[in-house]
Amino acid sequence: MIDTHNLSKRYGRVVAVRDLNLSVRRGTVFGMVGENGAGKTTTLSMLATLTTPSSGKAYINGYEVTRQAQEVRRCIGYMPDSFGVYDDLSAEEYLLFYADCYGLPRDVAVRRCRELLAWVNLGDKRTAYVNDLSRGMQQRLEIARCLMHDPPVLILDEPSSGLDPRSRIEMRGVLRQLRSLGKTILISSHILYELSEIADEIGILRGGELAAVASVGVMLQHASGFRTIGIAGRGPLTVWERVLRDDPQVVDVRFLGEGVEVVYRGSLDDQARLLRALLEAGIAVYQFSERPTDIEQLFLRLTERTVEER
Amino acid sequence: MIRNPLLHKEFRQRMRTNRAPVVIVGYLASMSALTFFLLYENVQGQLLQFQPARSEQVFFVLSLMQMAVVAFLTPAFAAGSISGERERRTLAVLLTTPISPLGILVGKVLSSSALLILLLVVTLPLYSLVFLFGGAVPQEVVAVIAFQLFTIVIIAAISVLWSSIALRSGWSTVLAYATVGWMVFVTGFVGYGLNFIAQHSPVAYFAGRWAERVLSLNPLWIEAVLEKAVRADPHDWVWFAVFYSAVCLVLLGPAVWRLRPQALYWLPWLVRAEEKHYQ
Repeated sequence: MIDTHNLSKRYGRVVAVRDLNLSVRRGTVFGMVGENGAGKTTTLSMLATLTTPSSGKAYINGYEVTRQAQEVRRCIGYMPDSFGVYDDLSAEEYLLFYADCYGLPRDVAVRRCRELLAWVNLGDKRTAYVNDLSRGMQQRLEIARCLMHDPPVLILDEPSSGLDPRSRIEMRGVLRQLRSLGKTILISSHILYELSEIADEIGILRGGELAAVASVGVMLQHASGFRTIGIAGRGPLTVWERVLRDDPQVVDVRFLGEGVEVVYRGSLDDQARLLRALLEAGIAVYQFSERPTDIEQLFLRLTERTVEER
Repeated sequence: MIRNPLLHKEFRQRMRTNRAPVVIVGYLASMSALTFFLLYENVQGQLLQFQPARSEQVFFVLSLMQMAVVAFLTPAFAAGSISGERERRTLAVLLTTPISPLGILVGKVLSSSALLILLLVVTLPLYSLVFLFGGAVPQEVVAVIAFQLFTIVIIAAISVLWSSIALRSGWSTVLAYATVGWMVFVTGFVGYGLNFIAQHSPVAYFAGRWAERVLSLNPLWIEAVLEKAVRADPHDWVWFAVFYSAVCLVLLGPAVWRLRPQALYWLPWLVRAEEKHYQ
């Protein structure tokens, strides 16, 4: 349904996306995760026909995004990461405007508009001005707008960005409902957890390249049983290295300023032993704490090149 | 064109703001005051005596004022039309719909011209007052109104095209007003300057001909020609129409490129042109 072959985009000397090869099967949800600047938005805007690839090809529903852009536009619903709304239009008029853009007959458009407003829990806001709606409501209205012409493919760029916790939960509910519609969805986020509930597969973008692709299950399986420990202290580097190397439970070490970040798979007793070993080796440890695990970073560090890469 | 979704949306949005009725009422009130003042000044004490020449003068002043006002008002409504969408971050979504760049531009030109056209329409009863005292013939009035409509659409088109090219509303407004400044002031000064040279220097033979060419790019001059207030070729408006239509055609390419570069990829030399992020 969505295929890219060596898709690249350069802005002058900056390479935003490099040789991206991606394949999203019909009716599946593909989550794209990466930090800011990883190339998620550029990739999605190329697929949404907003930006032309510098090289490579991308196909949506069999149509090439540059040469058959008009056909592509008819079969996608695109939600950008930051969007605005038109002032002085009601929610219903807003959706009907986009229905007109897609050439939907008026009676079909009105019926669909009311169904979708109800579907995103905005049925009672039909006549409210769009600019008077809260950010969360506007995000849900955008989802309804994407579905107005009933496209088989949805491209959603960080649909939960900028929302408060309550709106985030509501949006997650809408996204779960979207999954049940059986559409092919490409969705981006910089938080893996957000996608883990709805995505079938996750792709991790790093510096414009697809670093890894795996199912959510595989990713969580790799990450389970590991924890990240931050240790701050003063002591010779060689001593740090010796103690950490000698502990069989240490999986990965990253040196940061005055301390280290350790990926650890041992029990709490093992952790206590590690602390004792550091102290006995003469390192003045003044902080030893477990840190929240960034699953995608952990996944990348653990798997390196072992997970199937496409 | 009538089914252009942007046109419907913009009509709805523009007429819902307080700005539209305030502009219409303010404009009508000022023009009415001006008309009554001019009529009073021209026929005072002699209301029962027909003085067609004086009434024609009222018509002339009124239409020139109207042309000057709409020429300078049009960019205010059109210069931020595309750049405003870009700044409000609504353009990207619009560009993922099947509506063509030309459809977007036409919708914006017509919607931003519409309020100005409405301003012209509401002042028509004032012209009928002038008729009461004779002077202006209906053909002249029709020609003047038609030319004013055309000028509004041309200025709106140029402003909308600048709005697409310049990316930012500040720049597009500057460029749109610079264009109107060129149309009204530059062509006027240069044209009259050349005329002056032609009249006072026998060696500057071509200055006279160039003066008319330059002046025929000035909408106020064309109005004066249509009202037979100045001696010139009555077909000068054709040169005006051709020149500014050509300007629009020249600006159309970059304006479409800024909206949707892919639309121009049939041009061989653009295939490898470096495209930035314009949305």
